[in-house]
Amino acid sequence: MFDGTPDEISKLIEPGRVHRRVYTDEDIFELEMERIFNRAWMFAGHTSQIPNIGDYITTDIGRQPIIFIRHKDGSPQVLLNRCAHRGPKLCNDPCGNARALTCLYHGWSYDTDGSLIDVAMPEGSAPHFDKKDFGLAKAARMGEYRGFIFVSFAEKGASFDEFLGPMKANIDDLVDRAPEGAISLDAGIHRYFFRGNWKLQVENVLDSYHVPFSHASTVNKKGEQFSRREGDKEGAQVIDEKKGKKESTSDVWKGRRSYVVDFGHGWTSNTELKEGERSSPAYDAYKEALAAKVGHERMEEILAPEFHNSLLYPNCSIMGLNMHVRVIRPVTTDLTEVTVYPVKLVGAPDEMNAANIRLLNVTHSAASFVQTDDLEAFRRTQVGLQSVQSDWIDLSRGMGEEQADSHYNATSESAMHEMAIRAQYQAWLYYMCEAA
Amino acid sequence: MDALGLPSAPAAGGIAGVDREPFELFLIHEGRLLDEREFEAWMELFTEDGLYWVPSTSGEPDPYNQASLFFDDRQLMKTRIERLRHPRIHIQTPPSRTNHMVSNVVVEEADEKAGTYLVSSSMMMGEFRLDVQRIFIGRQFHRLVREGDSFRIALKRVNLINCDTAFEAMAVPI
Ligand SMILES: [Fe+2]
Repeated sequence: MFDGTPDEISKLIEPGRVHRRVYTDEDIFELEMERIFNRAWMFAGHTSQIPNIGDYITTDIGRQPIIFIRHKDGSPQVLLNRCAHRGPKLCNDPCGNARALTCLYHGWSYDTDGSLIDVAMPEGSAPHFDKKDFGLAKAARMGEYRGFIFVSFAEKGASFDEFLGPMKANIDDLVDRAPEGAISLDAGIHRYFFRGNWKLQVENVLDSYHVPFSHASTVNKKGEQFSRREGDKEGAQVIDEKKGKKESTSDVWKGRRSYVVDFGHGWTSNTELKEGERSSPAYDAYKEALAAKVGHERMEEILAPEFHNSLLYPNCSIMGLNMHVRVIRPVTTDLTEVTVYPVKLVGAPDEMNAANIRLLNVTHSAASFVQTDDLEAFRRTQVGLQSVQSDWIDLSRGMGEEQADSHYNATSESAMHEMAIRAQYQAWLYYMCEAA
Repeated sequence: MDALGLPSAPAAGGIAGVDREPFELFLIHEGRLLDEREFEAWMELFTEDGLYWVPSTSGEPDPYNQASLFFDDRQLMKTRIERLRHPRIHIQTPPSRTNHMVSNVVVEEADEKAGTYLVSSSMMMGEFRLDVQRIFIGRQFHRLVREGDSFRIALKRVNLINCDTAFEAMAVPI
């Protein structure tokens, strides 16, 4: 029997390797939901999704259905989407606007902050029934940074500020690109699922080692990936044609770095592209709009990209290259759903935002050129891990080569190594054991 | 009207007196090229500025303002097809088998003089890969331009009834 004691859990993670059960065991999955997804700070939504009072979206954090709604006083609220009476899901639409939230079953209605306004036939209520005791449950804690709303379902634990830490720079890097200094997640969503454990997607976000192999089908004969940004003629040099061998990872790609900070967060460095040659009517108009707001010098600084992909462990990734926010939602041990929100830069010309939306279709829709090969890798991994003759998966690349990075206040290593994934399992251990 | 000029609610029944057969045959041919993985020939059915759009929102008016499953011009189609031909496209190893079905064809608009037509039809694509079979079903709109005995596609929009669900990865155009 697996009881989830710290002793049992720490046996699953060794230096440079992880036990296969971490991906396949249902007991472990249940503990993850309890100890990670119901405790850590989780991305819930962005204020741009609910611009007006009464606007709401419904979504899930881990397995919990939530309502993300703008209250009458203007504050964003994260409410559990479950009537306090007998439990039905209260809001059924993916989004909408409501003055009050009324349950379909017995007609109980709630204010936009979750307080119970009315019960049908109140004369039948028990003598001590008090509406104050029957508001919608809320996340215990909420934090906001530049419109990104995170919640924790636990009263105690690291503060939002501690959790976010140096990752603020990753959010700033994206949001500062908007001439108005704000982003908007109102350009629809991409939704996909895969038959694999949620951690496979999380690991992949900061795994640069896989790219020349997994994404070979996106690379042309010269070893360059297709163009993924407006204004670029081609994408990154991933494979080195000069070396003659089709699978040789290019020096440019090998030169990339990955960084980790506390709580399993991390990022990979910028992908080297021909920044000087980046130009198109939409991109040039955007540069002008940005410079008009922040000045030419600051514009140049903002448009010198620093980050390729960032992870806010455990459920959120922010991609700077193909601008989007990605939310990972475990469903079962071997089923995961992912939501991808295209980022619109407020104040950028429409044609620039249109170009970003269009390129994201190509990289991260369910029918995209890039993401689909990753999804196949996740599916096959889940199948492979059913084998029991060997219990361990290896994550040892680059062990001992970690370096302190004072610029970012982080730990850094070659992005071709597996430090970032090892850091995720340190965070996994922290959450799983601390809560035991 | 959506951003690409398609009427949002075409009149039921369409235009009487226009022979449906050439359109039906064309749509059957188009689906068959995809099923036989003749992707290049499929792309050639599109005009040089032709567009292929599968929205991910029901009733979506604007592919330039919202995420889509597919929104390809000829250049993206070409990149997509080069990838489909790549020996290491993992999501097509092994490849999908598909079957397109077309029915309920309605000629919505016809300008015989200009040789331009808008045709709507019900579509279904069954797909099988690695023991998983799934069905894509919806209504599609083709803006067609007469060329000799046949047509070219200026715009193809497919409205899947489950357009906004979470999909498992897909690779073959619908
Ligand atoms: Fe990948």
